[in-house]
Amino acid sequence: MEVMAAPVFELDEVTVTRGSGATHSHPLSQVTLTIGTGRCTAIVGPSGAGKSTLLRLLNRLEEPSTGTVRYRGAPIATYDVLSLRRQVGLVQQRPVLLGDTVLDDLRVADPALAEQAATHLLAEVDLPVEFLHRETPGLSGGEGQRVCLARAVAVRPEVLLADEPTSALDAFAANAVEQVLRGLLDRGLTLVLVCHDLRQARRLADDVVVVVAGRVVDAGPAARVLDEPSSSEARAFLAGVS
Amino acid sequence: MTVAQAVAAHHVYVPSWPAVAASALLVAACIAVVARERLGLAREVAVATVRAAVQLVAVGALLAWLFEHAGLAGSLGWVAAMVLVAGGVSARRGRGLRGVRAVSTTAVAVAVAVTLGLLVVTHAVTTEPRVLVPIGGMVVSGALQATSLTLLRIRDAVSENRPQVEARLALGQSARQAFAPQLRAALRNALVPTIDTTKVVGLISLPGAMTGLIIAGVPPLDAIRYQIVVMYMLLGAWAVAGLVAGRMVEHTIFDEAHRLRPLLRHGMTTARPSRRPARNRS
Repeated sequence: MEVMAAPVFELDEVTVTRGSGATHSHPLSQVTLTIGTGRCTAIVGPSGAGKSTLLRLLNRLEEPSTGTVRYRGAPIATYDVLSLRRQVGLVQQRPVLLGDTVLDDLRVADPALAEQAATHLLAEVDLPVEFLHRETPGLSGGEGQRVCLARAVAVRPEVLLADEPTSALDAFAANAVEQVLRGLLDRGLTLVLVCHDLRQARRLADDVVVVVAGRVVDAGPAARVLDEPSSSEARAFLAGVS
Repeated sequence: MTVAQAVAAHHVYVPSWPAVAASALLVAACIAVVARERLGLAREVAVATVRAAVQLVAVGALLAWLFEHAGLAGSLGWVAAMVLVAGGVSARRGRGLRGVRAVSTTAVAVAVAVTLGLLVVTHAVTTEPRVLVPIGGMVVSGALQATSLTLLRIRDAVSENRPQVEARLALGQSARQAFAPQLRAALRNALVPTIDTTKVVGLISLPGAMTGLIIAGVPPLDAIRYQIVVMYMLLGAWAVAGLVAGRMVEHTIFDEAHRLRPLLRHGMTTARPSRRPARNRS
């Protein structure tokens, strides 16, 4: 299963096993995949298929039980993990705010962040400068998620992983977050997006990976995968949600 | 001076065994209330009453032997046994955390060693068994509570605040940096009760050591000196136990790739379900 473009990530026969003996399970099984640089790759599939596990392998919040994950051509385990996570940022499904104010929150990523730089970060996520000193408990879900995006890009990652970043938001807030993601893509960031909404995948993604029951059942250019899936499992999934 | 001689020297009034037996009338009153209100606790009250009497007689006899014959080595052995028991009890609060028994026992042991050691070196207490054993018991008890509260809070953090910790890890923070807010919260949680107790000591209750000395005939202005030492000792013991437990357990909950490990399965059965919204401050 190949996704074309210069690879930023290559997964080779990756299996993730949890538990042992009779209770063990395989959230991911024999996944082979490449993810291109400077593109948006959407990972789609039913709930519990292993999409988030696949995403978390890419910044080493998960470890493969067998197989290899490569980042820029080298085994990912050979990178200093803290440095890797600054190059490969993550935005979680629900906004997780870490500071009392927006500025405090951004400074969790970069303690030396100046107010002017913080203002630029807010502009990148389409939030006005007045938000800088707003208290985070008063933010809406969409505003909170955009602050999380600003915090993630504060460390200037090369890749951004986003785990269903709009699934907990209403349509208006989801659209605002999607616009921010589009802006980051336009500025050259590589985006790997776990996505529950196939229309969003069609709008944002260059490439689509379909994961069903821990296996990659289709991968390739978004239009081809979404319109003409190559496997019966992918066809069944896409037919079920479209 | 023997204990009996000390008691005699201070003209201490100690209730006779018939008087102790007469106090059981109050237990009868308790059972009567329990029965009248149909609380279903009469049997438990009876069992607790008998257990308390048997345990205290046994401990009294053991301490009497210890004070007269065991010397410093015996006293330290007694304190060590208390440390082991406390470590086991405290470990239950951290079920699901790896190596928790070793962590809790070490935390209590270090707190006792530091606190008692400092008190002995500064001559705040003597090494006589009748001093070392009860003072050691107080330190072990304080260290046990601090360790239990710290482990409980950390276990909850591992199961409930995972998104907050992983959000920090995903920014390239080390395990220690990412867990620092959780550890601070755990230590605050452990220390606040003893800080509050220290603040109001003497105002809303007369603490045990001071009360005991006053009953034994020691002038109040002398008794409070002991109590001040005890309060400061407990503050130190709580802080050391909480810090040691927190720092040790921090190493067991992350792996070498700075990933937060899940709780062990047998511990998950006792973990409270998460009711905290994801946007809680960490």
